[in-house]
Amino acid sequence: MRREPKATSKSKATVLGSEDSFRMLVEGVTDYAIVMLDPEGHVVSWNPGAERIKGYTRDEIVGKHFSCFYPPEAIKRGVPEKELKAAIKHGRFEDEGWRVRKDGKQFWASVVISALRDKAGKLRGFAKVTRELTERRRNEEQIRILNEQQQTILDASPTMIFYKDRENRFIRVNESFARANGRSKEEMEGKTCWDIYPRETADNYWQDDKEVMSTGQPKLDIVERMETQKGTMYVQSDKIPYRDLEGNVIGVIGFTLDITGRKQAEERIQQQSREIMELSTPVMQVWQGVVVAPLIGSLDSQRTQQFMERLLDRIVETNSPVALVDIMGVPTVDTQTAQHLIETVAAVRLLGAQVVLTGVRPAIAQTLVHLGIDLSGIITRSSLSAGLLVAFEVLNLQVVSKSASR
Amino acid sequence: MSAESISVIKLRGLLLVTVPADPDDRTVSALQERVLEAMAEHESGGLVLDISTVQTLDSFFARTVVETVQMVSLMGGRTVLAGMRANVAVTVTQLGLSMGNTLTALDVDRAIDMLNAEASKGLRV
Amino acid sequence: MNDLQQGEFPIESENDIVSARRLVRNAAVAAGFGLTDVTRIVTAASELTRNIYVHAKSGVMRWRFLKSESKVGLELTFEDSGLGIPNVAKAMEAGYSTGNGLGMGLPGAKRLTDEMTVHSEVGKGTTVVVRKWLTK
Ligand SMILES: Nc1ncnc2c1ncn2[C@@H]1O[C@H](COP(=O)(O)OP(=O)(O)O)[C@@H](O)[C@H]1O
Ligand SMILES: [Mg+2]
Repeated sequence: MRREPKATSKSKATVLGSEDSFRMLVEGVTDYAIVMLDPEGHVVSWNPGAERIKGYTRDEIVGKHFSCFYPPEAIKRGVPEKELKAAIKHGRFEDEGWRVRKDGKQFWASVVISALRDKAGKLRGFAKVTRELTERRRNEEQIRILNEQQQTILDASPTMIFYKDRENRFIRVNESFARANGRSKEEMEGKTCWDIYPRETADNYWQDDKEVMSTGQPKLDIVERMETQKGTMYVQSDKIPYRDLEGNVIGVIGFTLDITGRKQAEERIQQQSREIMELSTPVMQVWQGVVVAPLIGSLDSQRTQQFMERLLDRIVETNSPVALVDIMGVPTVDTQTAQHLIETVAAVRLLGAQVVLTGVRPAIAQTLVHLGIDLSGIITRSSLSAGLLVAFEVLNLQVVSKSASR
Repeated sequence: MSAESISVIKLRGLLLVTVPADPDDRTVSALQERVLEAMAEHESGGLVLDISTVQTLDSFFARTVVETVQMVSLMGGRTVLAGMRANVAVTVTQLGLSMGNTLTALDVDRAIDMLNAEASKGLRV
Repeated sequence: MNDLQQGEFPIESENDIVSARRLVRNAAVAAGFGLTDVTRIVTAASELTRNIYVHAKSGVMRWRFLKSESKVGLELTFEDSGLGIPNVAKAMEAGYSTGNGLGMGLPGAKRLTDEMTVHSEVGKGTTVVVRKWLTK
């Protein structure tokens, strides 16, 4: 493209045939504006493509200076001259930019200007090839705007969002995600998980990513820890396959929620329920050598287990040979809880103390008998006060009425 | 923990034996021997086994203790297990072991009171 | 600290049972278990190391900290290449003993821990794994 015009302009007589065929070629091109300029920049030749793109007929334009194709402000900045100078200096100049049609409308053009020299190296003029790219430019602009809008939406989202490629590299992240990691988006993009997180953590994440990429199925509700520069976070992530237009999986897209607050709330609730459990099974010393433990509410295995440990500790602490366990406030007793109660009594006995089971209501007595639970080795009383009398007996104490003793 | 470290003290007609905290199996077996010898030697009517320092009571240890109690009983003596720790009692129970009808006491003082009370009852009979 | 996180200990003599108990106690305390749970774990370990010594002559105990998102725990493995247990279900019954034991070791260890698995092949050996979780 660059050499041929040079050859034609130089030796007209000898290569007339090739000049003709070249002219035919140029005349046939309508997608490109192919224009010859003299060394000063005046139009010398004009092809149909040029007419189509720029709107001038050959007669209208030949002889005019090519700067009329440029927008006024470009002319003011001396752009046409600069481009010619650049072409002279480097032999060739390429540019993309706005150009003006005859009707004043602007179009986006890709321009190549080549300097044409004869054998002696003297400048003979320029070949200027222009392509109209308004459509492409518009598409690109459209895509850029869409991308920006998408990024704006992504950045406005409180959910942490990231796109990763098949090499575990972040291609795109949103503001929330970058902020959570204590970095900027630019710092994160292009980096792999291994650059950002501790090895083990990164491996864990990568494991899930690989699963999503190989199955092509989303993986939801992944609860895990995220170690960031700002500390440990609990997160819940959904990961979905990232596909190209043909549907090939080219990575993963992750949506991650910070659930640290929720997790802490859960832990607080657990802590509180533990405290409530302790409150609901108090073990009180009511007399030197006697503790009373009223059980209230239903007894599950865990609660009875903890009750048993507390009761034994308190018996040892207070050096009490008698423990009254009152089950008046227990709605029902099943085989399991009865078993725990029997175990509690056995363990207390090993310590060297005795349990008196009090508050055995008729309904509970019936259930125990029906379940075939043998409480015969255990001292039971229907009321707490009756139980206290047993305790005093064990301690070798006697309750004497004041009037009687007088 | 060697067998020699088992202390046997004679106290007002009773024997007080302190069981080491974490004895090996040989020491546990030696304990039985020493207790039986001492019972015979002192013609004692009662034995207090102080297990207040014992951290782990597994089935081997428990069986030896129960056997010892039975043997002492055959020799005409009563045994009281004193001072079992709360966590040991929970564990032993959960393990499914029963110490039979072995007498127990919260501490050595109470164990001695118990044996003395038994002895005076015995005299009355 | 690291040797507490996991490790192994050969069981070859009667004395090793005491040492194993001490190792397990330290590991359980380091894992954050309360006193009663420590006692449960140590007692289970005592039963299972004695089973190695009594029924298989020698073997090895391994311990390992368990960590997941929501809980931590301790895993103990007892492995020997002794004669194996012909009928594991039977051996798990309370009171069943082929020796002169109380037959409470295996069923007791199961009750004292949260998870227990017994793998045994006659002529090849026995592996018992127990786990205890820390309910935070
Ligand atoms: N490591 C082992 N190798 C072979 N047999 C075993 C092993 N552990 C347990 N057993 C078998 O299982 C039975 C029950 O074990 P256990 O409950 O500990 O009771 P004990 O040890 O008191 O006999 C043992 O008598 C023995 O036959
Ligand atoms: Mg055993």
